[in-house]
Amino acid sequence: MNTKKVLNTSLERFSGIYLWVGFIVLFTVWKPNEFFTVSTFHSVATTQAVQGMLALAVLVPLVAGQFDLSVGATANLTGIVAIVAQTMWGWPIWAALLFSVALGFFIGFVNGFVVVRLRVNSFIATLGMGSILSAFLVIVTNSEQPAPVESTFFNNLAQYSVGGISIVVFEMLALALIVYWVLDWTPAGRRLYATGGNSEAARLSGIRVDRVAWVSLVVAGGIAGVAGILFSSLYGPSLSFGPELLLPAFAAAFLGSTQLQPGRFNVWGTLIAIYVLATGVEGLQLVSGQQWLSSMFNGVALILAVALAVGRERRDNSKKVRTRRRPSSAGVESFDEAPVAVLETAEGLETEGPAVVGRAREETGGSHLD
Amino acid sequence: MLVGQNGSGKSTLIKILAGYHAPEAGGDATVSGEPLQFGHPETAYHLGCRFVHQDLALIDDLNVLENLFLGTRYPMHWGAIDNRASLRAGQEMIDRVALNVDLRAPISELNASQRTGVAIARALRVDEKYPERVLVLDEPTATLPADEVAALLDTVRVVARQGVAVLFVTHHIEEIFRLGDQVTILRDGVAVHTGPIADLTREGLVAHLTGERQQREVVKAPAVAKAEPRLTIDHLVAPGVRDVSIEVAEGEILGIAGITGSGRETILGAIFGATKRLGGEVVIDGRSVPSGRPDLAIGMGVGFLPPDRKISGSFPTLNAQDNLTVLNIGRFWRGWFLSPKAEEGEAKDWFKRLDVRPLDGTQQRFDSFSGGNQQKILFGKWLSNGPRAFLLDEPTQGVDIGAKGELHRQLISVAASGTSIVISSTDIEELVAICSRVIVMVDGRIDREIVGEDVTEANLTRGFVSNPDG
Repeated sequence: MNTKKVLNTSLERFSGIYLWVGFIVLFTVWKPNEFFTVSTFHSVATTQAVQGMLALAVLVPLVAGQFDLSVGATANLTGIVAIVAQTMWGWPIWAALLFSVALGFFIGFVNGFVVVRLRVNSFIATLGMGSILSAFLVIVTNSEQPAPVESTFFNNLAQYSVGGISIVVFEMLALALIVYWVLDWTPAGRRLYATGGNSEAARLSGIRVDRVAWVSLVVAGGIAGVAGILFSSLYGPSLSFGPELLLPAFAAAFLGSTQLQPGRFNVWGTLIAIYVLATGVEGLQLVSGQQWLSSMFNGVALILAVALAVGRERRDNSKKVRTRRRPSSAGVESFDEAPVAVLETAEGLETEGPAVVGRAREETGGSHLD
Repeated sequence: MLVGQNGSGKSTLIKILAGYHAPEAGGDATVSGEPLQFGHPETAYHLGCRFVHQDLALIDDLNVLENLFLGTRYPMHWGAIDNRASLRAGQEMIDRVALNVDLRAPISELNASQRTGVAIARALRVDEKYPERVLVLDEPTATLPADEVAALLDTVRVVARQGVAVLFVTHHIEEIFRLGDQVTILRDGVAVHTGPIADLTREGLVAHLTGERQQREVVKAPAVAKAEPRLTIDHLVAPGVRDVSIEVAEGEILGIAGITGSGRETILGAIFGATKRLGGEVVIDGRSVPSGRPDLAIGMGVGFLPPDRKISGSFPTLNAQDNLTVLNIGRFWRGWFLSPKAEEGEAKDWFKRLDVRPLDGTQQRFDSFSGGNQQKILFGKWLSNGPRAFLLDEPTQGVDIGAKGELHRQLISVAASGTSIVISSTDIEELVAICSRVIVMVDGRIDREIVGEDVTEANLTRGFVSNPDG
């Protein structure tokens, strides 16, 4: 946690915030009467609150090295179930809410089971789960558009106005605070980062990496579940909102890893990313009124974010090599460093595979018994 | 034959020949009288050098023929692969090395010496533009069981008879006498002897390998009085380990030596639980350590430093502090948060104690430190947990001489405070320097135990001889 507190206002670490300010200035100048208004900000804040929660939902497993692609579908299902339980099954609101939240956690648990016990890669497992959940969505609603819930309490869950801002924004911030606290200030968070950083080293350091991965997926499911319920509270029943929220969640998490604590998935960077993207989209839509802007923006953002992250990784690696290429007097030390440098120059040459692999073997000191 | 101990420079030399390292100015190499340009792998190939490295780079799922043509063009016919011509060419290649395998057999079905044979056949691929002149084999028998070594040596003789010069790098003293004509012995990066094998005796060879050592400052572990065994390994069976029983006393530094394939590389992992045991028991302080559970082993006071820092020993992308404190982060818990001050204090403390440079670099990325400092940080990680038994696999690999000495002194002082230490290493000098007792493993079992005064380089090197056979 400590590394990262160094107050280094380098362009890179805060580029998101600069960009955000840039957008605001740009669009204010462009459409002065429409953009820079209270209602615009409310609108952005509110619509992004649920999106932000889903970004947090994917963030937790990402830290541990797992991909959860089912959060959108999970949110959609729990959101619908919360409504349908009341309107179609006649359950009291408390039961409906509890059940929906539990459902979210349960989906996460099943994801964890598939990944840890059945040893299916998380990307594939949750992709499949997402599809299964969409099927359940149809089953649960009998393929009909469900009627909205009449209860004011239910609607107030997200819509209750606090100083002009819907309470859902604060709920999202509260969730962000909790996730931040766990990730950066508790041993559990350390275990998550260690598992994601190098799961084998984590295992050999006494971390139960399977358990960590499983729990991270359960948490993702739970957060997605809550997010779904709040979405329903905000907008009423929708059978299609889940998939649309998935990509921007990942875009935000990846973009967020370039902010504040570059190279590391982190909570506040993710939130900054969410709002930067949303502000950009909102501004563009006001300016041009095009419908496709959101998808375009989020897609480009995701690609850019990952490209930036990868670019940094390679820069870090080559920096490391360059500084230690000096032949050391001891000679033996160069065993460790030189091969990496040599590999860089050898790239692009047609070489025999064995020679390249020979380097890897040398670094690990003799061949292994496979 | 090229022979030398771990760290003598054999592999670096091969890599220089192959073009992966550029040596410092002043030396040169020629092949058939033509100069070899350093730093460019193609020039080695153009001069006719062909290499078979220790990792054969064969693809298990493909068959022999496909592997033979890996990296080169098939004979073509009308835009598609000409199967009959390919088969003929492939057959010629394996006949040339007198190898008896089915071209269509998948590599996974071949035994180790056959695979090496395929790799050699492939390396000797006929290229009219750059005819093959020199075949370099880097420790080809390292992973071969004793009974297959003979087959491989025969293959090598066949190749030599065809006029190809063979540079055979090995650890095994027996092979030098069975196969070789000339031998060059490397020690500490210098060729200390070159000459016909006929002129050399086994003792002479070993003497060259180990050298007349000055009594350099040997930091020796004090001899341990016969104390109660703290760590007991009973009939351990694991991948590479057939049946090993060891007892380690409090404060003892035990060494495990052995060539590749002897079980040395896998035994510590099996004891700790990095890999599951197939049989046998591990007991520390009277408690049985469950198999394959690193977390429980750590809880019982066992520490394990794996040989490969980058892959499984550390978190390269996290900072030094995170690496140091990962074992027991809970000790910094202050009610509802982890205290950054406490954690940083502890990290700085260990940096000072182990002299990690730069001293104020606790927040720097782990992989930005040099090999020696990385290893010191990892020492700190395990020592800060107060292990009762500390297992280290290749503890000073990739570490410069200065840091090596410091790490050794650390281990001795840790042992003096009661911890049992087991070091598995291919660095004979290291074992001689700090171990009071060394076990030599051969083929998965303990071949011999060398104690106290007898722990010398000469004795250890001699101990590596595999079962002599016909």
